Amino acid sequence: MSSVSFHDVEKTFGSTKVIHGISFDISDGEFMVLVGPSGCGKSTLLRMLAGLEEITSGTIAIDGRVVNHVDSKDRDVAMVFQSYALYPHMNVRDNMGFSLRLRRADRREIDARVARAAKILNLEPYLDRHPRELSGGQRQRVAMGRAIVRDPKVFLFDEPLSNLDAKLRVQMRSEIKALHQRLKTTTVYVTHDQIEAMTMADRIVVMHDGKVEQIGRPLDLYDRPDNLFVAQFIGSPAMNVVSGTVRREDGIAWLEADGDARWPVGAVPGIDGRPVVFGVRPEHLQIALAGRESVPGEVIVVEPTGAETELLVQVGAAQVTLVTAGRPNVRPGERIALAVEPGMGHVFDQASGRRLAA
Amino acid sequence: MKKALDEAKLLLIGIPVAIWTLLPIYHLFLFSISSKDEAFAGKAWPDHPTLRNFGIVFREQHYFLNHFWRQFANSLLIAVAVGVITLAIAASAAFAISRLRARGGRAVLNCALFTYFIPAAFLAVPMYKTMGGYGLLNSPWSLVLAMVTIASPYAIWVLKQAADRLPFELDEAARIDGASPLQLFCLVYLPLMAPSLVAVGTYALLLAWNEYLYAFLLLSRDQDITLPVALGHFLSADDSPWELLMTTGLIYALPPAAIYYAFKRYMVAGLTAGAVKA
Repeated sequence: MSSVSFHDVEKTFGSTKVIHGISFDISDGEFMVLVGPSGCGKSTLLRMLAGLEEITSGTIAIDGRVVNHVDSKDRDVAMVFQSYALYPHMNVRDNMGFSLRLRRADRREIDARVARAAKILNLEPYLDRHPRELSGGQRQRVAMGRAIVRDPKVFLFDEPLSNLDAKLRVQMRSEIKALHQRLKTTTVYVTHDQIEAMTMADRIVVMHDGKVEQIGRPLDLYDRPDNLFVAQFIGSPAMNVVSGTVRREDGIAWLEADGDARWPVGAVPGIDGRPVVFGVRPEHLQIALAGRESVPGEVIVVEPTGAETELLVQVGAAQVTLVTAGRPNVRPGERIALAVEPGMGHVFDQASGRRLAA
Repeated sequence: MKKALDEAKLLLIGIPVAIWTLLPIYHLFLFSISSKDEAFAGKAWPDHPTLRNFGIVFREQHYFLNHFWRQFANSLLIAVAVGVITLAIAASAAFAISRLRARGGRAVLNCALFTYFIPAAFLAVPMYKTMGGYGLLNSPWSLVLAMVTIASPYAIWVLKQAADRLPFELDEAARIDGASPLQLFCLVYLPLMAPSLVAVGTYALLLAWNEYLYAFLLLSRDQDITLPVALGHFLSADDSPWELLMTTGLIYALPPAAIYYAFKRYMVAGLTAGAVKA
């Protein structure tokens, strides 16, 4: 178990800079998820930590020791690859014991540690099979087994679930989480799937274009996104955003958007007359009776999913999504009034995308 | 109906090609089981088939066959040495170029390709001079080195292509698992390349086994030459013993056939199945 710290890390491929000075710390035993759209540099950052990519500038330290020029094999990290990268010519037992064999560990000790890992991961019946004889989920577990037999300082996961089907993905997600709670090994997990990030992480690093957009606990990112990018990346369905100018009328601050729409933006000081972006999550919009602060709109699509219903509503020039528990009796074409749950609106500066106070 | 037509067309091409290929082999076989008198009788099957020719060859009972076993052994040793050395060179080169991404790898590959613009026969005389310079003439090493030189470029190309198809994550996984480049080479790369190694090794081995020109130039004493050169000597007589020449030829053709048959299944790749999701 160990801490990891990135200090002003940069990466350049040829003349293209892909990581722009990233700094953050991961504490001992923490489950840190790096999340972002493809090409944001999250995998590159992980591979730099693993020692598979050179660090152009800055430092990466594991347990206080700078590892910039330490070979992968001496960093004491274990990695689970998206493609599993199991050795096809070895059976499950040899795949899992390979790293110990390279370290010239005692045969009995290798067997014991492989057996323990196999027990944790329910791989005992498959130890003598080859990777080609396993299903996707089993291969994924073998890849994890290969990592845990070594008892490394840090686990690295590079999009480990992207090759699995949806159902298995959810199952493996909780298995990885449970494994971490059991072993408490510092973990860095890369994914492009914000649901994986939200459900698994102790803390999340949201990355975009080689920069860190925000670091924080999952619900903090959800409740108080620092900027528009994080606001729209975290949460599903994505946050509704409407651009416009703030005007005060009857003591209420309104966002005046295209198509004659008005949204009550709540008590954010000092934004009158400014061009801003107003954001509200689908689950913080409600169907309401027409009132002073309600927003009129027209239902376009109704999508019941059983427990919840998703509505697509035209408000002025914008279309917004609303998620509500239960089964509201509305039809496409019907005019309804929307209310923003008090205190649940977000206001961002239009030019910079930064969150404006409150 | 269309399928039947397609098959008929294939047969129409296939049957003449098969006859074209098999007829000389049948001829070889026919001579080897005929007595000297019957060999030229022009029959599709001899009246009195005999294995006497094989006895003569195996017991070295003819002037041209005095060193048959010795020459057979020369051929075998040289061919195996060429196969092994070519494999060692090509497997290492392909590993360095494809997996370790050694600097200048591309240039090495281009040079390898370039060597094939020059026919091997053009190099025979320079090679003879070179071997003479090193004092290797009449040594089996001269032929081994010459054949390795000729076989290696192609072998490197083929193995480099095969190595490129191995998923790179395997190397990365092994590096993180703690493998040094040498361990990576021995424990991951070689086992996964086995089918290609067998194919390339067989290619080099058969190239040396069948070589005539270089063997003829570089080796000259009767005890040193390989069997193809010895077969050539048969033709220096006015009255060549054709039935013995053909018998020896048939015997010489058997090991390659056996090797091909034995390694056929290795030549079909498929070992990498299951390494990564396809």
